[in-house]
Amino acid sequence: MALERKDADASTTVSVVTVGPARSRDALRQALAMGCDDASLVLAEEPLSDLAVARALAKVALETKPDLVLCGKQASDDDQGFVGPALAEVLGWPHVSMLTRLVPAEGGVELWREVEGGHEVWKASFPVLGTAHKSEKEPRYPSLPGIMKAKKKEIPERPVGSLGADLGGPRLEIVALETPPARGGGKILKDGDMKAVAEQLATLLRDEAKVL
Amino acid sequence: MDFDIPEELQLLARTVRDFVETRLVPLEKTIEDEDKIPVEVLKEMAGLGFFGLPFPEEYGGAGAGDLGYCLALEQFGRTSAAFSNVIGAHTSIGAMSIYLGGTEEQKRRYLPDLCAGERIAAFSLTEPSSGSDAASIQTSATLRNGCWYLNGTKIWVTNGPIADVVVVYAANDRARGPRGGISAFIVEKGFKGFRVGKVDDKMGLRGSYTGELVFEDCEVPEANVLGGQVGAGFRTALGALDVGRISLAAGAVGSSQHLLELAIAHSKRRQQFGKPIAANQAIQWMLADSAVEIHAARLMVYDAAWKIDQGKRPSLEAAMVKVYASEMANRVVDRVLQIHGGMGYMKESPVERAYRDARILRIYEGTSEVQRMIIAEELLKE
Ligand SMILES: Cc1cc2nc3c(=O)[nH]c(=O)nc-3n(C[C@H](O)[C@H](O)[C@H](O)COP(=O)(O)OP(=O)(O)OC[C@H]3O[C@@H](n4cnc5c(N)ncnc54)[C@H](O)[C@@H]3O)c2cc1C
Repeated sequence: MALERKDADASTTVSVVTVGPARSRDALRQALAMGCDDASLVLAEEPLSDLAVARALAKVALETKPDLVLCGKQASDDDQGFVGPALAEVLGWPHVSMLTRLVPAEGGVELWREVEGGHEVWKASFPVLGTAHKSEKEPRYPSLPGIMKAKKKEIPERPVGSLGADLGGPRLEIVALETPPARGGGKILKDGDMKAVAEQLATLLRDEAKVL
Repeated sequence: MDFDIPEELQLLARTVRDFVETRLVPLEKTIEDEDKIPVEVLKEMAGLGFFGLPFPEEYGGAGAGDLGYCLALEQFGRTSAAFSNVIGAHTSIGAMSIYLGGTEEQKRRYLPDLCAGERIAAFSLTEPSSGSDAASIQTSATLRNGCWYLNGTKIWVTNGPIADVVVVYAANDRARGPRGGISAFIVEKGFKGFRVGKVDDKMGLRGSYTGELVFEDCEVPEANVLGGQVGAGFRTALGALDVGRISLAAGAVGSSQHLLELAIAHSKRRQQFGKPIAANQAIQWMLADSAVEIHAARLMVYDAAWKIDQGKRPSLEAAMVKVYASEMANRVVDRVLQIHGGMGYMKESPVERAYRDARILRIYEGTSEVQRMIIAEELLKE
């Protein structure tokens, strides 16, 4: 979504930042290869609470002063969908979630989101934060020359502790993870005529399934 | 000694793999039926930089080197061979001839468009009476009033029917033989006296174009003598073929790896005599032998490609990997088809296509026999 803006207006600068362990560099490298201008890593080898991540990112946002911050709508591991809105809250910026499209508008931007049977269009002045649901377009492939050029770009790194953000806050812990109980096979009633089958069914629904 | 593939080349290979699986694999059937790669797909590939992989950025290339190029072709090997064929002929022998043998001016004039895929290149050496004995070419080049005139017929030119730029090898002085007597010319589509002849109908490689090129007093300006050096063509051809042989082997490795994966999946799934066929040692050994040979060929490819990137000219390694990987690929596809049984013989199976696609590997860019001649010559050299 951000790169589509850059395609439309070459003066746009797209910066990517992530808070995470050293291996997050791969994702940043990929973003550079796709055409982002710069990338930086806030190193946190130990997992942080979502709120701490949002506070750390807020420090970065205050330094770089972007017009627009885009986050993913949710992490693919814990599905909390928390960091984006929390970051907007820490910054005191407006936020619109689950975006599908961005359109430049007088003094700001139009933020589109999909709703049942149509689109909702919000308008915001800068700065604003959005969480991206999924663009109308598939994410682009990084071009192969882009990959080779990305190699030459530095990805600066700093420890999360150096930002001066409050890294405390509640941490969620997963205490149990269970697969749903296996379902028993269904039953097919086929003995007897219609009436008999109906009777058997009613009995079963009352006595076994206890839904009647 | 460092066998680690650099991080960016791993990303490059993953990107190609992803592109192959999501964009190209679904087209396999159409390509096979229509014997044509859709133009939009070639455009998309061009946009992603697939046509200039090994060349330096200053000429519009991706700067991935020969290793990066081979890693990409390995992934292209996982789908219809037409793709690695079109890219290979364009890059490793067509554009590569200009890169290796061209003057600075020629490289600046041709490589950027070729790397961008805006123009497609071909390499044209073979003639009706000159195949393995490539030094015996008959197409003649004569200089008259500051212009070269080419006369003759070239055959089986990969990309020939769609090429915008063809590097044509012709005899400027038959008496002088390969060193001094053969020159390379950059011929553009539209040059007077140049036309495409018959387009071939092939056993495999469906979707890639191979055909005849006809030169009738074809006018080539002096500025288009490759490298500006009359008589230096044969050496350039051999240099380009070194790269071609290595990259061809890379495609063979990728295709064999993919086939092995299909065979593993099929042998675990297919039940006969109350158990998966993979439970039989006869099947297991076919899988194990294939894995061993693929691994060996892959290491040979990476080694030779790496040597090219170190500025060496590994002609011996190129001949070795060419003969080994192409024969390995034919053994692997044969075993994989055997493991699939009748299913592998049916047109709806990718194995059937792969079986036909693999056969050419032992023939073009120098037959297996020619590679063994090159290797033996080196061994027996005083
Ligand atoms: C699909 C396809 C695409 C091609 N693309 C190109 C291209 O882009 N550009 C290009 O220039 N050419 C191209 N070629 C030509 C290809 O490189 C030649 O077919 C190949 O070099 C072999 O030559 P030939 O077919 O004339 O076989 P021949 O040379 O006639 O050989 C026939 C057989 O005799 C064997 N043989 C020959 N001499 C000896 C010897 N001294 N000792 C032992 N055995 C020997 C050969 O190994 C072979 O088995 C292509 C061919 C095909 C089929």
